[in-house]
Amino acid sequence: MKLDRRNAPGFLALFSLPLIWSLLLLIVPYLIMISVGFWLRKYPTFVPDFQFANYAQIFTDPQYIGVILRTAKIAACVTVLATILGYPLAYLLAFTVRSPGLRNLMYLMVIVPLWVSYLLRAYTWKTILGTNGVLNSFLQSLGLIDAPLDIFLYNQTAMVITLTYIFIPFMVMPIFSSLENIPRNLIEASEDLGIGPFGTFLKVVLPLSWGGILAGATVTFCLTFGDFVAPVLVGGPDGTMIANVLQNQFGAALNWPLGSALATLVLLLVMAILWLSSRLDRTARITL
Amino acid sequence: MLKSKALHHLVLGSTILSCMAGAIQASELNLLTWEGYATPEITGPFEAATSCKVTATYVGSNDDFAPKLAAGGGVYDIVVPSLDAVPVLQQAGFVQPIETAKVTGFDTIYPEFSKAASLNADGSVWGVPLIWGSVSLLYRPDKIQGTPDSIGILFDPAYTGKISMWDDKSSIYWAARYLGYNNIYDLSDEQLDAVKAKLIEQKPLVRKYWTSAGELTELMANDEVYASNTWTGLTSKDVNALKKGFEVVEFSPKEKSEGWMDSMMLVKDTPNEDCAYKFMAYMQAAEGQCAIAAATGYFPVNPAAVAGCMDDAMKKDRQVGNIDFVKSLIMWEQPARLDKYIEVWNAVKAAP
Repeated sequence: MKLDRRNAPGFLALFSLPLIWSLLLLIVPYLIMISVGFWLRKYPTFVPDFQFANYAQIFTDPQYIGVILRTAKIAACVTVLATILGYPLAYLLAFTVRSPGLRNLMYLMVIVPLWVSYLLRAYTWKTILGTNGVLNSFLQSLGLIDAPLDIFLYNQTAMVITLTYIFIPFMVMPIFSSLENIPRNLIEASEDLGIGPFGTFLKVVLPLSWGGILAGATVTFCLTFGDFVAPVLVGGPDGTMIANVLQNQFGAALNWPLGSALATLVLLLVMAILWLSSRLDRTARITL
Repeated sequence: MLKSKALHHLVLGSTILSCMAGAIQASELNLLTWEGYATPEITGPFEAATSCKVTATYVGSNDDFAPKLAAGGGVYDIVVPSLDAVPVLQQAGFVQPIETAKVTGFDTIYPEFSKAASLNADGSVWGVPLIWGSVSLLYRPDKIQGTPDSIGILFDPAYTGKISMWDDKSSIYWAARYLGYNNIYDLSDEQLDAVKAKLIEQKPLVRKYWTSAGELTELMANDEVYASNTWTGLTSKDVNALKKGFEVVEFSPKEKSEGWMDSMMLVKDTPNEDCAYKFMAYMQAAEGQCAIAAATGYFPVNPAAVAGCMDDAMKKDRQVGNIDFVKSLIMWEQPARLDKYIEVWNAVKAAP
């Protein structure tokens, strides 16, 4: 970036606030977190130090890697499910619904849940999936089951369902905007050349919406990876995710050094995912 | 025009004032305490009598106190940990000594509680006993065969998916007693390994680890679980009050129940010391002791205070004058190796 001398005051006036903001509220806290990761837990609290025991503990005690893998599995399930459900919805909005009014209304309905408290939405799933919940009552009234099933709530399936519901708007929005930006004449050209609707989708629409899918998948995966509410509300005894472990280290265990080391590891993982996502985006991108 | 400008200023001014109201209000009192300890029946009369405004935040476990204070003081004035969490708060320097002369009624508290070693460490008094009780077992007689008398009910495969446990390191104490260990606060590495294996073996039986009395009430009331450990008195009272067509029953297992006692501790350098002392004294008076006993189902620590505000049946139910009941319980202590216990409990929860 080359700064014109004349514009320097204007540049500073405009950008000093966001720069200071990100320095003080993002960069500095990250540095503090990384350095606390080398501190030492010492009852009753912890002391500054520079040692690697926290990292050694993370990699030798199987509980931490186990939870990270479980978290990655849940995040992957949520991402795949959200893509499968979100893409057709975005497609419907972008291509099938002709009336702009109806389209806006439907788009709004996708986003409106974001305005409702996350906790409330997660809690609602408890009343749907519970033993005496809506789903069980419905199945019983249809005569499909005699007694309520308890397989819907307090397990990893319930977590995947809840998290998919909660994060699906983040999947639909980028896919919708990528679909909307596809020039309609490309689709018409494909059809004029005798390619059927399915072929057109595979050869034109899907490749051009790849960036949207990738953006949605990245956001959904990262948001799920960091979630700690769904395990508490709808997860069972095997539902602990990495954010719960982190919360516990900063809470009950009062072991901020181990918590910081874990948080640094999670930060690296998320950065790796972002890097991978941008690599995939670049290799697959079609320049119009 | 002028009028609307004046209105504009008025709105702006009152907005700023209302944003600042929290900052300038004097005589407030912030409690970090347990569900049921700051209901309107308890705080209402206190606020009316003293003009101290009470705000309460609730914890789900004794392990919540130290981290909340470590994250920055100045938010809470009084914390109410159980006896086993008192040493860590005192040793970390999060609390200040109590001037017992300022707490009217302190002298009539059961000495078994007010003279407890961890409350009287280093030559000072660190807490004012508030309320006590036990942790026992709770079950659904209409769903459980026979009359259970053992912790074994929590490990019975017949109730797979219908068991709950408190999400707390005290799960270790329960499994340890079930395995026949008596030194539950000082288990050896081998014993802790056995406890961990037992708790992991129990996981398929557990539907949900509960984190608050409210959550356990909900789990019981909604047919999700049939047996759990419980803060004696509170959940059973709340579930049965819902009249769901069944009753829950508490019992003390042959391996014994656990006993706890919660004390009010004064956060270091609190700006609201006056209100804090007034509140401690209020909670040792008849109003405070009877109100909290009624709201929670727990036992008063100050028999003199409740003499006039409880009838005989209630006194019997709440063990008033029966301090020997303590001897039938295993009173909580801070584990010798606190970090190890928390690590073991976390490993259990992290296991598949």
